[in-house]
Amino acid sequence: MTPTEQFFDWLEHTDLSMWVRGESLFAFPLILTVHTIGMGFVAGTSWAVDLRVLGVGKHVPLAAMEKFFPVIWLALAANFISGILLLAGYPYKAFTNWVFYLKLSLIALAIYLVLKVRNEVLRHEPLNDEQWRRAKWLAAASLACWAGAITAGRLLAYTFIWLRVGIPGGF
Amino acid sequence: MPFWIEPDMPDAWERWVRATGLHEFVLHHSWMWPTLETLHYLGLSMLLGTVGVFDLRVLGLAKGIAPATLHKLIPFGIGGYCLNLLTGITFFSGFPEQYAYNPSFWWKAVFMAVAGVNVAFFYLSDEFRRVKLLGPHADAPWRAKFIAGTSLSAWVLVLICGRLLTFFRPPFFH
Repeated sequence: MTPTEQFFDWLEHTDLSMWVRGESLFAFPLILTVHTIGMGFVAGTSWAVDLRVLGVGKHVPLAAMEKFFPVIWLALAANFISGILLLAGYPYKAFTNWVFYLKLSLIALAIYLVLKVRNEVLRHEPLNDEQWRRAKWLAAASLACWAGAITAGRLLAYTFIWLRVGIPGGF
Repeated sequence: MPFWIEPDMPDAWERWVRATGLHEFVLHHSWMWPTLETLHYLGLSMLLGTVGVFDLRVLGLAKGIAPATLHKLIPFGIGGYCLNLLTGITFFSGFPEQYAYNPSFWWKAVFMAVAGVNVAFFYLSDEFRRVKLLGPHADAPWRAKFIAGTSLSAWVLVLICGRLLTFFRPPFFH
């Protein structure tokens, strides 16, 4: 084994990792379920904000949409924790799949865009025409990044090369 | 045999599903299943992000927004629901026995029915009209809050049962 494989093999044999992969319904199945609920609320609530910026429900005061941001942050926190646990269960599987890096990049970009929308649009009324054009691009990009992150996340189950150190994926 | 126990041989209804064009269609391409799953996930996010956000407003979050204006997002939620109904029917047609003999599937159906009856009651009773009249900062009546709470819980439970389908599969594939 290479030093990298040795490291991941050690990681896969920690108590936490073995518990996540174990038989308990409260381990992998529950963690995965929390991750999916979180996904729905993070992407869905961001989309609601993006749709408002793109012109749906124009009477909704822009600034008031910021009240939904705690939902986004709470769901994001749940997904950060559940994501770390899923990663603890199958670290080699994730880190040897380029789609995983694509997913993380898309999430980072999406969070950056959500913050941009908050700071430059929701907290910045009234906007002139030029700023509105920019705002709509930001919202559209945020929408697309979350959709891309969900797609990449779902495809992780079909694209991994290794399930664990020494156990190849079957695609 | 009880209806939730998988028989050794496919029942008549299952043979019928397996004879449909949809069954052929979903199993024919290797990329079909991952694509449908991805669409199902996008659809559930659309539903939670619109119906869920509206429910949260009725429950008292972001009161600065009048519920009627937030309601303009609901068509996207209905779009997500339709997307998920279609992809869901397609999943079922692909591996009917994997769903019909799976307790998680029946619980999911129960919570979908709860959400359905709840939403029908909301729009057909006087509650929707009352909620629509609420201005910014207005508190929703307790009956509307109860309906919104039921909606939010039912959809999250539908999601939980859906995600757990994988872990309650029947013993074998037909």
